[in-house]
Amino acid sequence: MANINVKEYQPEARTTKNRLSWLWAEYSVIIAFIILFIGSSILNPRFLDINNQLNILMQVSIIGIVAMGMTVVMLSGGIDLSVGSVLALAGVISVLALNASGSILVGVLTALLVGSFAGFLNGLMVAKGRIASFIATLGMMAGARSIALYIADGGSVSGEVTGFTAIANSDFWIFDVPVLIFFVMTALVYVLMHKTRFGRYVYALGSNEKAALLSAIRVDRMKIGVYTLIGTLVGVAAVIETSRLNSISSSSSGSQYELDAIAAVIIGGTRMTGGRGKIIGTLFGVLILGILNNMMNLMNVSPHLQGFVKGLIIIIAVVFQKRE
Amino acid sequence: MTENPFIQMQTIKKSFNGVPVLKGVTLEVQKGEIHALLGENGAGKSTLMNILGGVHQPDSGSIYIDGEEVKMLNSRVSQEHGISFIHQELNMVSDLRVYENVFLGSELRNKVGFLKVEEMCRQTHEVLAKLGVDVNPKEYVRNLATSYKQLIEISKALLHNSRLIIMDEPTTSLAEHEVNRLFGLMKNLKKSGVSIIYISHKLKEIKEVCDRYTVLRDGELVRTGSMEQENIETITKTMVGKAISQERFLHEHPFGPVVLEVNDLTSDAFKNINFAVRKGEIAGFTGLAGDGRTELFESLFGFRKKYTGEVKINGQVVKIDHPRKALKAGLGLVPRDRKENAIIKDLSVLHNMSLSSMGNFEKGGFIKDKEERKKFQFYKEALNIKVHNPRITIDKLSGGNQQKVIIAKWLEAETELLIFDNPTQGIDIGAKQEIYQQIVELAKLGKAVIILSSEAPEVMRICHTINVMFQGEITARFSADEANEEEIMNYATGSKREVAKIG
Repeated sequence: MANINVKEYQPEARTTKNRLSWLWAEYSVIIAFIILFIGSSILNPRFLDINNQLNILMQVSIIGIVAMGMTVVMLSGGIDLSVGSVLALAGVISVLALNASGSILVGVLTALLVGSFAGFLNGLMVAKGRIASFIATLGMMAGARSIALYIADGGSVSGEVTGFTAIANSDFWIFDVPVLIFFVMTALVYVLMHKTRFGRYVYALGSNEKAALLSAIRVDRMKIGVYTLIGTLVGVAAVIETSRLNSISSSSSGSQYELDAIAAVIIGGTRMTGGRGKIIGTLFGVLILGILNNMMNLMNVSPHLQGFVKGLIIIIAVVFQKRE
Repeated sequence: MTENPFIQMQTIKKSFNGVPVLKGVTLEVQKGEIHALLGENGAGKSTLMNILGGVHQPDSGSIYIDGEEVKMLNSRVSQEHGISFIHQELNMVSDLRVYENVFLGSELRNKVGFLKVEEMCRQTHEVLAKLGVDVNPKEYVRNLATSYKQLIEISKALLHNSRLIIMDEPTTSLAEHEVNRLFGLMKNLKKSGVSIIYISHKLKEIKEVCDRYTVLRDGELVRTGSMEQENIETITKTMVGKAISQERFLHEHPFGPVVLEVNDLTSDAFKNINFAVRKGEIAGFTGLAGDGRTELFESLFGFRKKYTGEVKINGQVVKIDHPRKALKAGLGLVPRDRKENAIIKDLSVLHNMSLSSMGNFEKGGFIKDKEERKKFQFYKEALNIKVHNPRITIDKLSGGNQQKVIIAKWLEAETELLIFDNPTQGIDIGAKQEIYQQIVELAKLGKAVIILSSEAPEVMRICHTINVMFQGEITARFSADEANEEEIMNYATGSKREVAKIG
């Protein structure tokens, strides 16, 4: 009798299995996040401390903002390697503008402007110049860093306007302002990508550029828009980075941010070639990286080994995503 | 059945995600016969062949070769049994040379392990010559036209000394004379004892070349027998389960004013093109591969920019250098090669439908999902699109349904003129009829329609006027009543051309 029952329930079992694999395929990054979160809380009791949690959020906020832009670029089938350098350049120029004008608003606007202009140039090179995004932004990466170094004479520049540091160093309720900016940016990019035609076109472009063009989409303008968007977000990140210590280093600020941002996007399940991926995925990708960093610090892992662990996680994440 | 069949597939069952696709199908192929495997899209032909090719494993049932049971664990095992599979989608590496593709995975090497390039080139040249193709084996595949790629794919199977070749729609991108040559070759293969399973939607071809046939419908075997005693209509009937006429769809009605007028259009792919299309008219353009018709209409649509000449829409001269401008001017294009040019495979059915007319679904800059769903429901019923959940990605639909979604996309864009390039490529008969019906409906509503097709019978069935192109020129123009297939072929092959400049 029991045997028969088992047999009869087989189709049911199969659908639950299907449902599980669907759940995994759709939400693997969230599941990985939960596992990591639970694992971390067991490994180290200090992890769950609310201050530690808020600290993680604070630490990921800058990379998180950049990663949101990176998600959009990668969904469109491109990549942007210049984010770190552009962040330094935008920071340096904005501090100069801040000091010259004495106005915080001017400083902030300058950072946004420099960021979006650099992004616009990237977009022009990719869309109109038909240069592969990897190459175009590699050039921008070298160029922007060099100009930043030249302007700051290889050193750091510091703000001389009181109140500028308040941007990154005040808090609102329990959250630091950078965390809130990160959340707002995530929400904005989410709405942009899932509720407007811009997002729809970006997915279409990343999935099949020729078909997108033949569907009467202005593919060139979309590309320029995508790179300008990430440039602007880099500008936002530059303001936070500069305001946090009231100074920016032309040589080291933003260095390797492109790698962290790309890692977060990839862990979040966005396909390298574009067309498939989610903003929410990147959000969790950013959080996973943040928890990893935090845990390695809490457990006194040598900072020299932290890159190794991060690299391992990225590769494991991609291997698991390939399974679907 | 006659004595021992060469290959026997016995009561094969297979389900995907709990949905049965094959419900106990039996297929027997004799040594040295060409066996047609027929059925509409989704009938289970491809699944059955994938099981034979070792791509899928059957849930139950067995396969016998020469009376011995074999397990096709993977495609390598299948190849070792002498089975070659020529897929509908071309598996070519476009950045490799022709001979490298032909020998991919089975390269000839000398004792030291170096490649025997000259030997491979020689064999490639030989086998291509048999197919009547003159291509330099060292040419890169990316530089070749689709029809050549298909022929190279076929020659690959020939070189592997196969005992059974499965051909899944091998003629979709071939011109008539290439098809004839392929058939000649298939008959030779048959004589030398090779069996062929031939999958096609073109029943005329099947009648011409196949010995026996098996019809599948909804995963079940409905009929099998000898080709000689059957006529096309009965086979069609068994395939779709109802009779389908081959009659003309043409609907006579008065035409409106001229919508599109083209004067002296010239580029490197076509020259001195003159024609006009009126409201309510269905104009057909046919010809062989390389006749320039696709390039002509891609230029009109703004996808190609380098051309000279004058284009007038509703009497106004327009300069179209981007598909967006074409759309604004009132042109729509349902392109050929759906997979590369039309569908966005990562987007859902719904989003593919709305892609060219987002403005219709927006309010205050935000997309209204509800409007999209409502509109899709409308097209789903109007075009009989078979999809359970429009949120699944479009690549999960069958070819016919994908094409209907693309047509819906352009209907939603509400252009005055619609260009269909090879609208029934790789689509089963039932869906084909529906698409023809829909095109005729459009014309009745007063839209101008242009059909590009390499199949003369197709344009003859639905077009009011037929333009024949040869090497980038319009060589003849017929009205529907004057046209016959033979005449069209004469002009398409260049053996005849009309003296007077038309236009």
